[in-house]
Amino acid sequence: MRVFWKSVRDNRRGWIGWTVALSAIAAMYASFYPSINNPAMADALNSFPQSVKEAFHMEDYTKPENYFAVSVFGLLVPILVAVFAISAGVKAIAGDEEAGTLDLVQAHPVSRISLALQRFTAIIVALAVIAAVMCLVVIALRGPGQFTALSPGRLFAVCLQLALFGLLFAALAYGVGAWTGRRIYAIAVGAGVAVVGYLGDSFFTQIDSLKWMEKFSPFDWYLGGEPLKNGVQWGHAGLLLGFTLLFVAAGTWRYNQRDIAV
Amino acid sequence: MADIPAIQTEALVKRYGRGGTIALKGLDLSVSPGEVFGFLGPNGAGKSTTIRILLDLIRPTAGSVRVLGVDPRSSHELRGKIGYLAGDFVANGRQTGRELLTYLGDLRGGVPAERIGQLASTWDLDLTKRIGSLSKGNRQKLGVIQAFMHRPPLLILDEPTSGLDPFLQQQFVELVREATGNGQTVFMSSHVMSEVQQTCDRVGIIRAGTLVAVEHIDDLRKRALRKIEVHFDADAPTLSVAGVSDLVVDGKVLRCKLSGDADALVKALAQHHVVDLISEEPELEELFFTYYQHVEA
Repeated sequence: MRVFWKSVRDNRRGWIGWTVALSAIAAMYASFYPSINNPAMADALNSFPQSVKEAFHMEDYTKPENYFAVSVFGLLVPILVAVFAISAGVKAIAGDEEAGTLDLVQAHPVSRISLALQRFTAIIVALAVIAAVMCLVVIALRGPGQFTALSPGRLFAVCLQLALFGLLFAALAYGVGAWTGRRIYAIAVGAGVAVVGYLGDSFFTQIDSLKWMEKFSPFDWYLGGEPLKNGVQWGHAGLLLGFTLLFVAAGTWRYNQRDIAV
Repeated sequence: MADIPAIQTEALVKRYGRGGTIALKGLDLSVSPGEVFGFLGPNGAGKSTTIRILLDLIRPTAGSVRVLGVDPRSSHELRGKIGYLAGDFVANGRQTGRELLTYLGDLRGGVPAERIGQLASTWDLDLTKRIGSLSKGNRQKLGVIQAFMHRPPLLILDEPTSGLDPFLQQQFVELVREATGNGQTVFMSSHVMSEVQQTCDRVGIIRAGTLVAVEHIDDLRKRALRKIEVHFDADAPTLSVAGVSDLVVDGKVLRCKLSGDADALVKALAQHHVVDLISEEPELEELFFTYYQHVEA
């Protein structure tokens, strides 16, 4: 586990920073809930056209599960989690390889598969910590933020789906990076899937010919089953986890076969 | 164990990518245990490619490789017995030297902190500084230390003294001698002829992906051209002696080049009054240069 601990140590500052920033954003949105929860706000929202409301997932925001789905766990947090996951996944193999520093470590008695999987495990731990801290912060704010109607179990469910959502992007960037050894490909594929996935879950749902895409969007697998209302969506969680395993397995397999670039 | 070569390659071929450049075209190489083998050749000849195959960083297209009797592909534990210094040694600059050396030592199952400290003080390297703030020479010292610190049976060094000043190059020569004293095998590529002359038992010359010659360093030296300068008390005579070439007479001074045995020349000179006789040590560099040209022709 020496590679795992080195990975944690090398990245600790960045990872702590991300944990603090994401928790702060979630806390900020959560403490804003009391000012949303009033009749004037509800009237204002009702005046939007139906299609706009659907595109932005706008519903009755006076209910905490609706407000939290678009604010705390909506747009900004999942996108930042995806950004974090992609950057961590790219760094694990491709970033290190392009910096020329992978050569030295792989000249030591550690197998390619072990090195790669230990580094990915470190990313799993980072995402778990980020989601857990965020979850605890939001749960702690239930009283002061006047959203006790939202149970800790439901908040846990959405945080779990968020962690798996992040894991999928980490695995994608890691897998492409480990397969090709090129940062740019890993970033491009990761960002591309994030953007198309987001559009597929929002604007494309308004276009009949593109509606089918919603079912294939990681954003849908994360929030589409409304875990804040319905608890953990095991089918979606399974999809996120399944693709994660596929990307990690494929990237690691190829990394074990190929040449390491200078 | 003694009869198993430290390094053996047979018909080793490496092609980069499909239909890409061929870096090695059937390399046959054998390095005996305990010897210091110099691996020489111009840039792009395939030196680093060979070295990276030995460490399983890249995989051969065809042919076989055995390092300490083992296929590098089959066992990552093999790398625990190797000390490796890359031609372009780079490490993450945000950690300190000690952090890196401790980590690499741990990957090898642990290297005592005293050993690291002792090497660092011999090499006058501050391990508390971040690697990013070190000069190129100091970073290279770090590379040398990580290769030698665990006293591996086999050292594979790619241009080990690049970036080191002449004083440190000499210190490196001492380190190699110490290693061979312990029975360690050293395989190194180099451009610095003085260090090759001082350390190597045999040298292999690689050119365009094949080994063109393997020679004992003494044999090479014998065949090398020696520059001779003779001062007489009167006008210099013109001599015609076997092994002498490029003879130039300039007043009382005679200059020529000599290959092989010096006996005939000395006996011819003995008939005259010789004031001074200067014989320069042959430069291997010149010899290799003629080698390369010879092969090209």
